[in-house]
Amino acid sequence: METFSNFIGGTIALFSDPIGILIFVGGVIGGMLFGAIPGVSMLTLAAILLPFTAHLSAEHGVMLFSVIYCTGVYGGAITAILFNIPGAPENAPTAFDGYPMTQKGQAGKAVGAAVMCSALGGTISAVIMMAATAPIADWAISAFGPPEIFALVFFGLAVAASVGAKTLWKGWLSILAGLLIAVVGLDPVGGIERYDFNMPYLLAGIHFIPTILGFFAVSEIFVQAEKKATGVYKAPKVSVDFPSLAELITHKFAVVRSIVIGFFCGILPGIGATLAAFMGYNEAVRWSKDRAQFGKGKLEGVISSETANNAATGAAMIPLLALGLPGGALTAMMVGVFQMHDMEPGPLVFINSPDLVWVVFAAMFFANASILVIGFLETKTIINLLRIPFQFLAPMILLLATVGAYAVRGLVIDVVVMFVAGVLGFFLRRSGYSVAGIVLGLILGKIGEQTFAQAMQMLHFEWSGFIDRPIALVLIISGLLTILGSIYGAFFKKHHSVDHAAGE
Amino acid sequence: MNVKKYVVPVATAVAATVFSASVALAACATDSLPASMEGPDGFPQRALTMIVPYGPAGGSGQVAQAMAQAVSDLTGVAINRDHKPGGSGTVGMTAFMATPPDGYTVLEHIDDASSAHALDSGRPNPAMDLIPLVISQITFSQIYIRTDEDRFTDWNSFVEWVKAQDGKATIANVSKEGSMERVTMKFITDATGMKIQQISFDKGAPRYGALAGGQVDALFEQPGDVRKFLDAGKFKPILTILKERPEAFADVPSLADAGLDFEPLFRFRGFYVHKDAPEERVEWLQWAFQKAFCEKSYQDYNESKFMNLIESFRDTEGARDLITATIEQYRAVYEEMGLEVK
Repeated sequence: METFSNFIGGTIALFSDPIGILIFVGGVIGGMLFGAIPGVSMLTLAAILLPFTAHLSAEHGVMLFSVIYCTGVYGGAITAILFNIPGAPENAPTAFDGYPMTQKGQAGKAVGAAVMCSALGGTISAVIMMAATAPIADWAISAFGPPEIFALVFFGLAVAASVGAKTLWKGWLSILAGLLIAVVGLDPVGGIERYDFNMPYLLAGIHFIPTILGFFAVSEIFVQAEKKATGVYKAPKVSVDFPSLAELITHKFAVVRSIVIGFFCGILPGIGATLAAFMGYNEAVRWSKDRAQFGKGKLEGVISSETANNAATGAAMIPLLALGLPGGALTAMMVGVFQMHDMEPGPLVFINSPDLVWVVFAAMFFANASILVIGFLETKTIINLLRIPFQFLAPMILLLATVGAYAVRGLVIDVVVMFVAGVLGFFLRRSGYSVAGIVLGLILGKIGEQTFAQAMQMLHFEWSGFIDRPIALVLIISGLLTILGSIYGAFFKKHHSVDHAAGE
Repeated sequence: MNVKKYVVPVATAVAATVFSASVALAACATDSLPASMEGPDGFPQRALTMIVPYGPAGGSGQVAQAMAQAVSDLTGVAINRDHKPGGSGTVGMTAFMATPPDGYTVLEHIDDASSAHALDSGRPNPAMDLIPLVISQITFSQIYIRTDEDRFTDWNSFVEWVKAQDGKATIANVSKEGSMERVTMKFITDATGMKIQQISFDKGAPRYGALAGGQVDALFEQPGDVRKFLDAGKFKPILTILKERPEAFADVPSLADAGLDFEPLFRFRGFYVHKDAPEERVEWLQWAFQKAFCEKSYQDYNESKFMNLIESFRDTEGARDLITATIEQYRAVYEEMGLEVK
C-alpha cells in the first residue's frame, strides 16, 4: 500500500510540473528516434545530453535518462524489423524473425508486436522494480557471483547452438567462431595481448556493434543486391496490419517467460538488456514445438526478444539505485547525472531523496506505457520507409551503418570490421551457418571468458568448486543436458533434422 | 623479496603531501598564474579535441569532463572529448600519437601509461615523448571490508584471518599483469607473509558488487571510487596505503602503523600535448590547464572524489618528476618480479 501511495505521489509530482512533462515527452521521443538509428543509439543521445543535465534539477536529469533508457531500447526494434539493422545490440534477436516477417509483407504485425511487447515487458518490470528494489538487489549480488554468471553464459551458448543453423555442427561452429573472435585483444583478467598482429587498435578487441551491423545490415544488402541483379528481387509489401489481441494472447507463455528472463538478466551488474534479449529468444526457440519456423518470420521470435529487452530496463535500475552498481553503459552515465548534483546512487538515495526515486519510478512506468501510444503512431508513418526503392534505400542503409560502426569508438578499423563481416555474412548465410550464433558467441564470449577466469580464481582453480554453488551447478547441468539433447536429436532423429534442413 | 629495495625517488616526488582539505582550498596551487592569457596568433581558433582512452562513465571519463568544462569556463574555448577506450589505454594513446602536433589535440591519461612504458620502452614515455600540461589528480589506495563483516574487523584481525585460510581468502582487484594494484598487493603480501587470491575485475560495478554481495572477502580500491559505499556505511577501510594517515581517514592505520615498509604507488591522472607542438601554443595550454585546476568547479569535483587529501597538482616539471620516478620504481619492481622488461 505504501508502494502504491508513493507511486501516486511520484506521478502527481511528475505531471504537475510543466518542465517535468516537457522533459518526459522529449525523453520519450528522443529515445525512440535515437534508438531507431543504428550506431547513433540512445547512448549517443545520453552522452550529448550529459553535460546539460548539470543545468537541470537532479530529479529532472535522472528522470530524463531513465525515460531515454526505456524508449531507446524499444526504438532499435523498428530498424531491426524493417531493414535488418538492429538499432542497438539488444535488438539483434528481434531482427532474426522481424526482418523475415517484413519480407513476407508482415512488417506492421512485427512492429506492432514489438510495440506491445516492449510496453508490456517494460511496464511490468517497472512495477516489480517499484515493489521490491532493495531486497532483489541484495539477493542478486549475493546469489550471483562470477561462477553463476559464467554458468548462465554457458547455458545460453548451449541453447543458442541449436538455433538458426542448418545443422547442429554448423550451429556449434558458428558459436565457436564467435568465441574465437571474442578472444582478440587484451585478455580481460591478466591483460595479456592476443591476436593483435602488432596492430594497437586490435588490442581493444573486435567490437560487437560493427560485427552486428556487418553480419545483419551489410550482408543483407549484398543478398538483396544479388537478387536485384539476377532479377528475382521483390520489394517487401507494406502493411500496417497490427497483430490482434487474440494473436498475442496465444503467446502469453512466451511473454511471461521473457519477462522473467529479461528481468533476471537486467538485475545482474554488467549483463543487462543484450543478454536478456538473446536469452529470451533462445528460450522461445527451445520451448517451441515449431522450432524450424524460427528465423523465417515467426511472430513469437519478435515477441520474446522485445519483451525481454524492455523487461531488463526496470531491473537494471535496481542495482543502480539500491546499490550504486550500474549494469550497462547508460546506467553508468546515470551515475554521472547523480554526481553532477553531488549525489551518489545507492542506499542513501532512498533515505535522502525519496521524492527523486519515486518521480523516476513513475516516469519509467509511464515511459513504457507511452511506447504503446507513441509507438503505434510512429509505426503508421515509419513503415512507409519501405516504399523507398531498393537502389535508393540500400546506399542510405550502408551510409547509416558505416556512420554507426565508426561512431562506436571513433576507429576506422570498426568500419573495416563491419565490411569484412558483411562479406563473410553473405557467404556464411548461404552455406547454412548462423550469423546470429557468431554474434552471440562474440557477445557472450567476452562475458563468459571474464567470469570463467574470475570463477576459477575464486574457486582456487578447482572445477569441483562449482558443485558447492547450487545455482551455478543447476545451470551447468542444464547446459550439458541441452547439448546432449541436441546431439541425441542430431544422431537419432536423422530424418527430422533433414526435414528442417530441407525447409531452409 | 626485500621491499626496501623499492624505496626510490618517488619519495621525493610525492613526499610530505598529505594535508587537510582546508589547506588545499585556502591557497590553490596556481593562484599565482595570471588570470588571463592571450594565445599566440589567436590560438586556439577552433575547438580543442581531448582524446580520452577510457569510456565516459569511469574515473578518467569523469575527470576529462570536469577538466574540459573548467578550461572552457576559464578560456571560452570549447573542448570536444573523443573517447577511444580499449587495450588498457593503448588505443587512445596510439590514436593521439597519430594526430598532427599542432596543439589542437590533447590527451588525458593515467599512470597506466607510465607503467606500460616501464614494461615496454617501445611504448611512449609520458614524460619525454609527450609534454605533461598538468597532473590534476593523485590519489592513494586502501583495503576495504564490509562494515557488517564479523570474521575480522580491522587490519590486524584481517591479516590473521587471511593467514588461517591458507590461500583461500580473496580480494577483488584490477590484477592485470604489472598493474599498480598487482604490484602493491605483492608488496603487502610479501611484507605480511599472507597468501590471498586476487580476483580481477576490470570494471568498477562488478568489483564493488563482489564485496557488497559477499563474493570476495576484501576490496582494493581508491577512496574516491567507493565514496558512496563509505558514506552509506556499507564498506569500511582497514588499511590506507600511504606512509601517514590523511585527516579524512584518521582512524585507519597507515603503512607505518601496520609496520609495512614500502613506498606506496599512486593512481594519477593528467593531461598531455605532443612534444613537437609549437612552443607558444604549449605555453598557452599549460596556463589554461593549470589555471583551470583552481576553477571552483574543478576543485569541487576533486573534493567530491577525495582528491584533496594529498596534493593532487603537478605542473609540467612536477609531472615529469613524478612520471620519471614512477617509471623507475615500476621497472625495478618488474625486474625483481621476473617480468620481461623490454
